[in-house]
Amino acid sequence: MAEMPYAAAVNRALAEELARDERVVVLGEDVRAGMFGTTSGLVQRFGEERVINTPIWENGIAGMALGLAITGMRPVAEIMFADFMYLAMDEIANQIASWTYMTGGQTSVPLVIRTAGGAGFAIGYNHSQVTEASFLGPPGLKVVAPSNAADACGLLKSAVRDDDPVLVFEHKFLYFVPQEVPDEEFLVPLGKANVLRSGDDVTMVAIGSMVGKALEAAGTLAADGISVEVIDPRTLVPLDQETIFGSVARTGRLVTVEEGRKRGSVGSEIAAEAAEKIFGSLKAPVARVAAPDIPVPPGPLAESMYVPSAERIVETVRRLVG
Amino acid sequence: MTTQGAGETLAVRSIDTQTLLALHRKMVITREAEQTWSDMLQKREFYLMGHFGTGQEAVGVGLGHALEPDDYLFPTHRGIAEYVGKGMAQNDIWAEYYAKTAGPAGGKGGLHLSDYRLGLIGLVGSLGADYAISAGAALSTKLRGSDRVVVVSFGEGTSSQADLGSAMNVAALWKLPLIFAMTNNEWCELSPASEHVCTPFVAPRAEGYGIPWSVVDGNDVVAVYSAVRTVVERVRAEAGPYFLEFKSYRVGPHWSGDDGSYMCQEDVCAWQERDPIAACERRLLEEGMVSAGEISGIKKAAQAEVAAAIERARGLADPTYEEMLAGVYSGAPAGGGAREVS
Ligand SMILES: Cc1ncc(C[n+]2csc(CCOP(=O)(O)OP(=O)(O)O)c2C)c(N)n1
Repeated sequence: MAEMPYAAAVNRALAEELARDERVVVLGEDVRAGMFGTTSGLVQRFGEERVINTPIWENGIAGMALGLAITGMRPVAEIMFADFMYLAMDEIANQIASWTYMTGGQTSVPLVIRTAGGAGFAIGYNHSQVTEASFLGPPGLKVVAPSNAADACGLLKSAVRDDDPVLVFEHKFLYFVPQEVPDEEFLVPLGKANVLRSGDDVTMVAIGSMVGKALEAAGTLAADGISVEVIDPRTLVPLDQETIFGSVARTGRLVTVEEGRKRGSVGSEIAAEAAEKIFGSLKAPVARVAAPDIPVPPGPLAESMYVPSAERIVETVRRLVG
Repeated sequence: MTTQGAGETLAVRSIDTQTLLALHRKMVITREAEQTWSDMLQKREFYLMGHFGTGQEAVGVGLGHALEPDDYLFPTHRGIAEYVGKGMAQNDIWAEYYAKTAGPAGGKGGLHLSDYRLGLIGLVGSLGADYAISAGAALSTKLRGSDRVVVVSFGEGTSSQADLGSAMNVAALWKLPLIFAMTNNEWCELSPASEHVCTPFVAPRAEGYGIPWSVVDGNDVVAVYSAVRTVVERVRAEAGPYFLEFKSYRVGPHWSGDDGSYMCQEDVCAWQERDPIAACERRLLEEGMVSAGEISGIKKAAQAEVAAAIERARGLADPTYEEMLAGVYSGAPAGGGAREVS
């Protein structure tokens, strides 16, 4: 198993899918050069008809992907920053999400929209948010948030092969971290959570960039004698409730961890489902570790205080168990 | 037509009897269907609000009829002329309007009609969303080496959505087979176009994108049909976009729930004088293509077809709760229409 950065794993997935199916096309702003390397070099291999630079028009990138998808193509669109997903909200939430239903299945909508979210560059505001929580609602979308290079490759390949619209929230800070990725071709199925560490006292559901910190926190807590099960749902819609709630039924405690803000978060949705479905198994209130409800502040210090840290996760679990 | 600026004047072609009769029939059935719909609403016999296109039938019918079945058309929200023009059956339209499972979209389209057998691949409810979708469909036809053209139809009010400029830009940049077909009916909901657009005509803006354009008399079905035929041939051959502006007028209210009292009655009367169906009837009679008896026969047949379709739709099965829930994701086709194969 070779190590490769997350961005290279995304690139590999795209190259494999472009080679496999000629209906697959990649489109977005500067995808030929590739801002973070995720699409670099593809145009040399697959040509300008398969790797398409678009003008600066996010709603158009999403809308054109829809137009391509309902006429026989399988587009993989890129929105350069997850913050700019909001510029494509009409096409994503009003059109792409409902097109299969609205046409009574006369067509499917086999498209992927990839985007890069997250803090790490300390520039704040419109280049630092994770926005996946805003896309859990519109019915008809699938939502994926890979936390490591292997999942970034395997989930993206499954997304491209899926007949429904899939939004893939990559994390730009993870892009450059080398990690192990299997050498042979592989798929990671949508809708299947990954149990990364087993434990008996607390179930910790961590998303995207927070998975690494959750594992770090679990290590610290183990030294205190607190045993934490760490689950990466990988797919947020549809959520693998069986795995997550099966674990909570054993541990009796649920903590969610994400980089996004707390109000209307992914954790809010998981907590609400837990309250409805497994209230009787809970020994303690559900805890959500998330960013504060403020804009992403600029500067390295403020950014490091804004993004949840392993220490905050540890403190939260101690309060819950103590 | 005044204020055409530097736009092209498209010669009106001669038309054969059969085509003119087909256009006439389609305009008549459009008006009959919308009139029946409006009457049913008055009598509270129907639930579905309507944005009727009375007086504008020539645009939708001429446009839809000029296209091949496998050309894609993204219609407007106004009336059913475009669907009828493209060949959609009354039975299918009314099954959808009554939200019955036998409709092409399994009753899930409702006002948002689609029929994938006819290149009618969806209607958006948020105005202007289809600029991007149609550009994507046009890019798709180009990438697949197909000779289909794509038409996106909209009103002058919807020209204010920013995506129009963006779509004209990509269409010109990539030489997409995309036709922008705008109906200027001088009204945007409850306010005149003069409160919405800064120029009397919108088509000249295409020039800034290097897109050829023309303003066409939207109340003359032959002018519309022949302009679209000419433009489609050019777009198919040269694979680049075109902007058509059809000048017409909305002689009725914006939607079934408004009385149009804000409209100037003299203007309405002046435009009613230019009614496209009456004009077509006159031409058919003057050129000896039909008799007066045949004209009234066409109207009666249209009334009967609409009535039968409505009657049939009422008797169709309603969706069950389970059927309502199904079909959010693919793999659960609920409609009676054909799946797209490209
Ligand atoms: C995004 C969006 N904004 C507003 C509306 C409400 N609306 C429905 S029809 C209409 C008027 C559109 O005017 P125009 O494009 O000129 O077409 P017309 O109704 O005259 O045929 C408006 C504003 C809408 N459906 N979608």
